[in-house]
Amino acid sequence: MDQAETMTDNHPAYRSKGESMSKRTYIHRLVRDIGRNPYLYLLAMPGILFFIVFKYIPMWGTLMAFQDYSPFAGMEGSHWVGLEHFRTFFATPDFGMLLRNTLAINVLNLVFFFPLPIALALLLNEVRSGAYKRLVQSVLYLPHFLSWVILAGLTFTLFAKGEGLVNHLLEAAGYDRIDILTNPHSFWIVITLQSMWKDAGWGTIVFLAAMAGVDPQLYEAAKMDGAGRFRQMWHVTLPALRSVIVVLLILRLGDLMDVGFEQVFLMYNGAVSNVAEVFDTYVYRIGIQRGEFSYSTAIGLFKSVVGLVLVLLSNKLANKWGNGGIF
Amino acid sequence: MRVTPRLFFQIFICTVLVSLSACGRSAGSSREESGGQNSKGPSERAEISIMTITPSTPPASDDNVIKREIEKLTDSKLDIQWISNNVYDDKLNITLVSGELPDLTYISDPFGPSFRNLVKQGAIWDITPYLKDYPNLQNGVPEVAWELTKMEDGKNYGIPRGRDANDVSFLILRKDWLDKLGLQPPKTTKELYVALKAFTGKDPDGNGKADTFGLSAGIDTLTGTFREIFTGVTGSWKEEGDGLTYAPFLPEARESLAYLAKLYSEKLLPEDLLTLKTTQVRDYYIGNRAGGVIDKTGTGPKVYSPGLKKLVPSYKEADFYPLTALNGFVPKGTGFNGILAIPKTVPEDKLKQILKLVDTWLIPDVSAVQRFGIEGVHYRVENGVKIVDPDKLLKDNASDFNQIVNSIDPALNPPPANPELKELEELRSQVDAQRSKENVPDIGVGLYSPAAEKLLPDLEKRISDLTAKIVIGQEPLSAWDDLVAKTKSDPQFIQSTEEMSDAYRKRGGH
Repeated sequence: MDQAETMTDNHPAYRSKGESMSKRTYIHRLVRDIGRNPYLYLLAMPGILFFIVFKYIPMWGTLMAFQDYSPFAGMEGSHWVGLEHFRTFFATPDFGMLLRNTLAINVLNLVFFFPLPIALALLLNEVRSGAYKRLVQSVLYLPHFLSWVILAGLTFTLFAKGEGLVNHLLEAAGYDRIDILTNPHSFWIVITLQSMWKDAGWGTIVFLAAMAGVDPQLYEAAKMDGAGRFRQMWHVTLPALRSVIVVLLILRLGDLMDVGFEQVFLMYNGAVSNVAEVFDTYVYRIGIQRGEFSYSTAIGLFKSVVGLVLVLLSNKLANKWGNGGIF
Repeated sequence: MRVTPRLFFQIFICTVLVSLSACGRSAGSSREESGGQNSKGPSERAEISIMTITPSTPPASDDNVIKREIEKLTDSKLDIQWISNNVYDDKLNITLVSGELPDLTYISDPFGPSFRNLVKQGAIWDITPYLKDYPNLQNGVPEVAWELTKMEDGKNYGIPRGRDANDVSFLILRKDWLDKLGLQPPKTTKELYVALKAFTGKDPDGNGKADTFGLSAGIDTLTGTFREIFTGVTGSWKEEGDGLTYAPFLPEARESLAYLAKLYSEKLLPEDLLTLKTTQVRDYYIGNRAGGVIDKTGTGPKVYSPGLKKLVPSYKEADFYPLTALNGFVPKGTGFNGILAIPKTVPEDKLKQILKLVDTWLIPDVSAVQRFGIEGVHYRVENGVKIVDPDKLLKDNASDFNQIVNSIDPALNPPPANPELKELEELRSQVDAQRSKENVPDIGVGLYSPAAEKLLPDLEKRISDLTAKIVIGQEPLSAWDDLVAKTKSDPQFIQSTEEMSDAYRKRGGH
């Protein structure tokens, strides 16, 4: 009985009513609900505590972005400088470069890497033999479990100009050696290809799960209507995936300011510095190596705020276009 | 199965109880342990926590025999955090922020901004007034190191970790290859070019394939060393007139870039120069591919020879041939490698205990433990000479303890174990004796300028990125001229140079 009631409360049709509810009745209902299901709330306690202790309390540390933080004086003793660090950051000539590199790597990622798992999942879905499908899936997942360190090592072994395998082969075949790793023009491409190679297979998991949930009757009905393989894919499978794709896209947009630190850091060298320095490596260099904690916290905060705005915006757009965002 | 509230409750209580009991046990046991130590009385055995680097994996364990012996001789209980040298600077910076420094902490760069900040805030003990009570601290650490590690207020905020000032990283060439090609060890960069060219083109390993090259080195070591050779200045600052000038911007520094770009384009340097890791740099020499490296003389038998001897049985220890100087220049070491600092959170009584520990540790008999080990276990005495078993010492991480306290007393150097090493030792002392007459000290060490502190890290990175590009031929030398011209007119740079000059004059120049 209780459960049924809770479910109706959360049902979208009732949500508007819930939102208009005043704060007081909300608390009142919460207390009543706790009285009714004390054990459920008791069970949730460790999880809630975890978030409070390890996620919400540390957030106060973000305040150091507005201070001239000194470890010795602590948060209370350091003096406040307002938006000083943000002003310095936006004024530095590095800012434009960092923004360009971060966005370029992420946009390439979004355009080339993001659709890849969807395509791969569609292909896998069409494989008839179950055993073969499972084998291919496992092989595709494997690279995900390699660390970036190993992947960077592999890349060097394959593509280094002097000792790389690819260049040895090219030379043996009578072509010129090509410079890939110390070439500013190819750096973004290398980074994107690495991500694709590593995580394309892993990304299919969510889509395959969504495909497994498609009602077979839909396919049968489509077949009765004379739809071939491609038509079925277009009219049945893809629409079934739409909400999953939208949710993942929104989450991905939230990370538009993040570039995997390890990956870029490992592939970094002097020759590609102009295209390889991103916000994350910059924060590491300034914050950890040079000890300018307030300044690097400010950069981190800037990144998070942009990410949050992007998530909210894209979610709103998704809702507007009738695809149902994530909240 | 129907999940009743009662079942939920039981599961929950179980979980809570298990986690609580686990916490309780660990807390209880640690209390017991410390109780055990306390029973000996804190005044008898000083308990001292230490943080330092280790090159070894795994590091020395808590019950390591060398550690036990040192604890016995210094009457202390050491709690050592060994941190891998690859990540030490990061770890140290984070520890500095947390404000909870171990009692004795290795500071890799005593003039770095984070440590200087702590000193400014009064978080670190000024040990200058206490030093007179501890004679071994004065004797076991080079005078120059005490001098150079003074902060701008003229006080010492840590014990320098002593190093031999003659033992510097410089060019080392393969003597057997030089002999085979009929070349003398180079004395100038011109002769060096000839030698490296021959190493690359004249098949010194005699296998009929063009698979060798001149010099294996990481990009930053390479550009730094050759800039110093060409400018004749160790470090970044050169005395000019009554002030200082920034050495990387001297015209000779530009020449060094042109020289290296030429070496690279003629394939005398590793082709993958920019993407090489330290181990790969060494592997070229060990793998019989490169004829030279930039390293300390002492690394030969430890790092390079064992591997290379397997490939080339005729290779001798003394074929690891250090060049005395190039163009009449060789850098002088600073006599220290970082300092050991003591935080103000430690009370004065304990500060004295800690200084006493290091003081006792520097007594030759105590320092001998980490060099020779324990009699009967790591060494035996024959004709009054200690014969050590290097493998056994290595196994017990003996040399790791040099990362805490390192006496520079030459009596502590183990005697060479075989004739080949003896030959290398003689060569080394010859070269060191010659170098000590010619070597050039770094006059910029410890000079403080707030503007330079802000500007230099960024500028150095720009220089390092651009020089890398120029050496591999991606950017022309004119890009260098642009950077120099632009930076020289930067008011912040001008102010840095002025402040450094002031600091230099204030110290009285020498």
